[in-house]
Amino acid sequence: MLGFLSARQAGVDDPLRLRRAESTRRVLSLKLNPDRDVDRIHGNGINTIDIDAIEGRYMLSGGADGVIVIYDLENHSGKQQYTCRPVRTVGRSSRHVHKFSVETVQWYPYDTGMFVSSSFDKTMKVWDTETLKPAEAFEFEGNVYSHHLSPIARKHSLIAVGTKNPKIQLCDLKSGSRIHVLQGHRAEVLAVRWSPRYENILATASADSKVNIWDVRRASGSLFTLDQHNGEKSKASSQAENTAHNGRVNGLCFTSDGLYLLTTGTDDRMRLWNSATGANTLVNYGKVCNESRKRLQFSVSHGCSPEFVFVPCGSSVAVYALHTGELITMLRGHYNNVDCCEFHPDYQELYSGGKDGNLLAWVPVVRTADVEEEPNGENKVAASLSAVNPAFQDNWSSDED
Amino acid sequence: MDWERLSQLVEELTTSGHPQLNQDKVKELKKICKASNDCIDHVYHSVMSQLNQEHAEIRLSAFQIASDLFSRSHHFRTLLVDNFQEFLELTVETDSEQPLPPPKEVARKLRSLAVQTVQSWHTSYGSAYKKLELGYHFLKQVKKVDFQDAEARTVTERRREEERQRKMERIYKARVEAATKEMEESYQDIEAALTEMESCMKLLFPEFGLAGSPADNSGPSDGQPDKGCQADDDEPCCKERKEDEEGRTKSDEEDSFIRNSGLISHTYSLDVSLSPGGSVLHVKETEDNEPVVSTMMELHRVISSKHLPAVQGWVQVRPTHTHTRPSPHTHSIHNSQAVFLGLLMKSLEAALQKHRELHIDCKTRATSDGEEDDDNDEFEEVPEKEGYEPHIPEHLRAEYGQRPPAPPLPSSSSSSSRRMRRLLEDEQDPTSAAATLRVLRQQIPLPESSSTTGPDPSQQNAAEAPVVPFGLDLYYWGQEQPNAGKILKSASQHQFWVPAEVEEEVENQDLLAQSKSRYISFPGNFVPVSHSCRAPLGNGTLCQRQDRVKCPFHGLIVPRDQEGRPCREEDRQREEQEERRKREQQPDWRDVDLMRDIEAATGEDLGSSRVGGKNRKGKKKKYPNLSDLKQSSNTSRSRLERKVFNKYDSSALANKADRRKHDKFSNQFNYALN
Repeated sequence: MLGFLSARQAGVDDPLRLRRAESTRRVLSLKLNPDRDVDRIHGNGINTIDIDAIEGRYMLSGGADGVIVIYDLENHSGKQQYTCRPVRTVGRSSRHVHKFSVETVQWYPYDTGMFVSSSFDKTMKVWDTETLKPAEAFEFEGNVYSHHLSPIARKHSLIAVGTKNPKIQLCDLKSGSRIHVLQGHRAEVLAVRWSPRYENILATASADSKVNIWDVRRASGSLFTLDQHNGEKSKASSQAENTAHNGRVNGLCFTSDGLYLLTTGTDDRMRLWNSATGANTLVNYGKVCNESRKRLQFSVSHGCSPEFVFVPCGSSVAVYALHTGELITMLRGHYNNVDCCEFHPDYQELYSGGKDGNLLAWVPVVRTADVEEEPNGENKVAASLSAVNPAFQDNWSSDED
Repeated sequence: MDWERLSQLVEELTTSGHPQLNQDKVKELKKICKASNDCIDHVYHSVMSQLNQEHAEIRLSAFQIASDLFSRSHHFRTLLVDNFQEFLELTVETDSEQPLPPPKEVARKLRSLAVQTVQSWHTSYGSAYKKLELGYHFLKQVKKVDFQDAEARTVTERRREEERQRKMERIYKARVEAATKEMEESYQDIEAALTEMESCMKLLFPEFGLAGSPADNSGPSDGQPDKGCQADDDEPCCKERKEDEEGRTKSDEEDSFIRNSGLISHTYSLDVSLSPGGSVLHVKETEDNEPVVSTMMELHRVISSKHLPAVQGWVQVRPTHTHTRPSPHTHSIHNSQAVFLGLLMKSLEAALQKHRELHIDCKTRATSDGEEDDDNDEFEEVPEKEGYEPHIPEHLRAEYGQRPPAPPLPSSSSSSSRRMRRLLEDEQDPTSAAATLRVLRQQIPLPESSSTTGPDPSQQNAAEAPVVPFGLDLYYWGQEQPNAGKILKSASQHQFWVPAEVEEEVENQDLLAQSKSRYISFPGNFVPVSHSCRAPLGNGTLCQRQDRVKCPFHGLIVPRDQEGRPCREEDRQREEQEERRKREQQPDWRDVDLMRDIEAATGEDLGSSRVGGKNRKGKKKKYPNLSDLKQSSNTSRSRLERKVFNKYDSSALANKADRRKHDKFSNQFNYALN
């Protein structure tokens, strides 16, 4: 750290390096921290969360009971202890609330004045954040599993929607109509993602074990289908089509630079693909428990020197190194399956929501002041700790002697 | 060394099978743990591994260790809270796919204890350990565990329980309604029966009220201790009682005198007797009160057989029912009903009790000849005889060892003359038992002999002699039979077919002997075996087999002492010899321990388990204190299941049936098709 600082001071180093090093350290020290709480609003499981890209201050969460809550993540109190308060809530009492479980929520990428939510009640609603009324509602024939707005698009404002219908719908926010349909899947579409690099590139994952990459300017068909065997037909000669997984593909995530694509499937695997060529990079992440029948929301860190993947794995969140596939740690804190997690790139924090209705904030441990080597420095730390909270004290009764 | 000791302690504590931990061992454990965090690490891991065992008792003990350490060590708390999900799964059953292991009662106990403990942990440490708080909220809000509920049940369990209770309540309600209806219907009957009974009693025994208050009457107290319930009976007895008293208090001359002079006549219809024991009223049925008594008997029968059980049934229906009804209104109604029922039952029982106390002599009608006088204690006790003859001829009396035919009056009694007179008077009264007796004496003819006599030796022999079927031999017993044993062969009567000459008469010695002799097989009576083998058994008891001569397991039955050792010296020796021979027969390579060693070394089964099955039993069970989970599965049902659902058997059976069908019907196409 000191070395980085001095190098930065001397100007020998790229400013990015210090930043990377520090954020990497922070990610590695992610922990369930008593200092950070998120108010419990959802009575049921939490299916999806999204942190706005503009300020990184507001977080949307959608619950299995149809409730949508907006949290304020920013800590202005100056104290270490902070509880994220809900600023707005679309509760059960609201007239416009989703009838069934909310599957996806997303902020409008350029403004927090608008967000989009889709639900199992076969609708997708575009909300006005101020009034909490839907400005637009799209109706579909089947349950909506996932939708996505391109985070970088400047020339279009399309929402890709994956529903129970194998056809992918493209809804235009400008006209408020469904303008396009992409055909190619044979089963329900569980996840859709726009590339963060090219505004017209879309990735979709379906229950027919396929992942398709589309260019929305080309209506005729997908650019290519990801193949887990990289075209080596000999291994899977029985299969006529390219498949990404051997089960339902229910998670999709681009790396922040858009060069790589991560997919997860119910075959308990996670795969990393080159998004330009569609080649399987064959990184082995080991077993990633995944039995969700719905979309799984996971995320990739941003701005660390080896990038990390945070992926729900049963009742914990697994942290992998992106390119080596090494399991860094398991964040255990939920008491039931975790459905979604979102990385906050500014503060290197991770938020996760699960079926137990908990929204947990994983916050980097604050680095304690380096204590110079003293004969009983250990004791001092312990003493200071126990001074903070009497519950940390050992309580051995004297009769054990 | 410490670590080994720790593991050992944890294992001992968890496999003790006791619901409470051994405090000494816990103390030792804590003492070791106090030394360093490494020890706590070690204990934590061993406790977790014990918690993973599929046995509720082990888990319960492990949980108790954990909760003990949790309150002590911060390090242990951190470790446990880090893995709190698993901990809850193993103790509170948060994962429905991982139910708590059997035995059920212990599992339930573990569950409720764990829930309570988690709550107390939450209150004391919840603020410091975030995951603990999360876990608590998870239990509370997702699993909906009610921490106030002593049973610590989840919602579904509670719902099921409620359902069951509702069902029971419905049943109870129906039952109560039926009972109420029935009660309303039969209340009149019961009331009437009670009133009738009361008036009957009043008739029989003036002022013998059912609801009479216990009035203490000191006037005619005759030194008789009155029982509480009979205190009121003292009052009405006045003169009749006095009259009777004389019978018991023989020596009380003055009393009897008063009675003699005070009474108008002995022919008083009602005879109430109070025995000197002082607790029995006696009402005797006579012609005058016969209808009353018979009504009373009838009433008694009805009350005791019909009304009382009915009321008891209603009372039983009620208490089970009331506590399930929370509404205060209905409650009060039912309470009043309960009070009413209680009163009803009490009065019924009181009526029966009074009836019992009256000791109505209902038998007099049927067996009036059985009693010569009500003063039967004047007689010496005669043993019960079958065929009692009321009349013994005078000349036979001496022979029978009886007293001279004096009327039943003890000559020693000073008041004999009076008694005599009274008896005569009684006999004149046609309603008295004495009179009936006299009539009977005259009517019944004198029997030839009496079985009441002392046992005659010849008669005794006759009684013991066997009864054999009667035959011809007996008919001609002692006579010479002219043609016994001769077989007559008739000549052919045919016209022209003539057989060869045959001897017409054949003498058969066998037949002759048969007709002159008789075999009587007399096997004797069956005498049940009263002794048992009493050879010492392996489990410390004695053999209980009751064979006559020889026990199939222990040989000849010989007399044995308390411990089962033979009493006689030679028997003892014989048994020892046998034992020695048996031991020698077993070659020493079949020694169980040796075999087990060899088996362990070579890995081959030499059959040590078969040889020493008995000895190994104790060793096989690793933790004898834990309750055996397999034992519960050894029920009659499971055994039957094993037999009935045996795959091999059922398939064999099906094959057999199929084959038979095929053999029979294969030539008929419509059967052959299926």
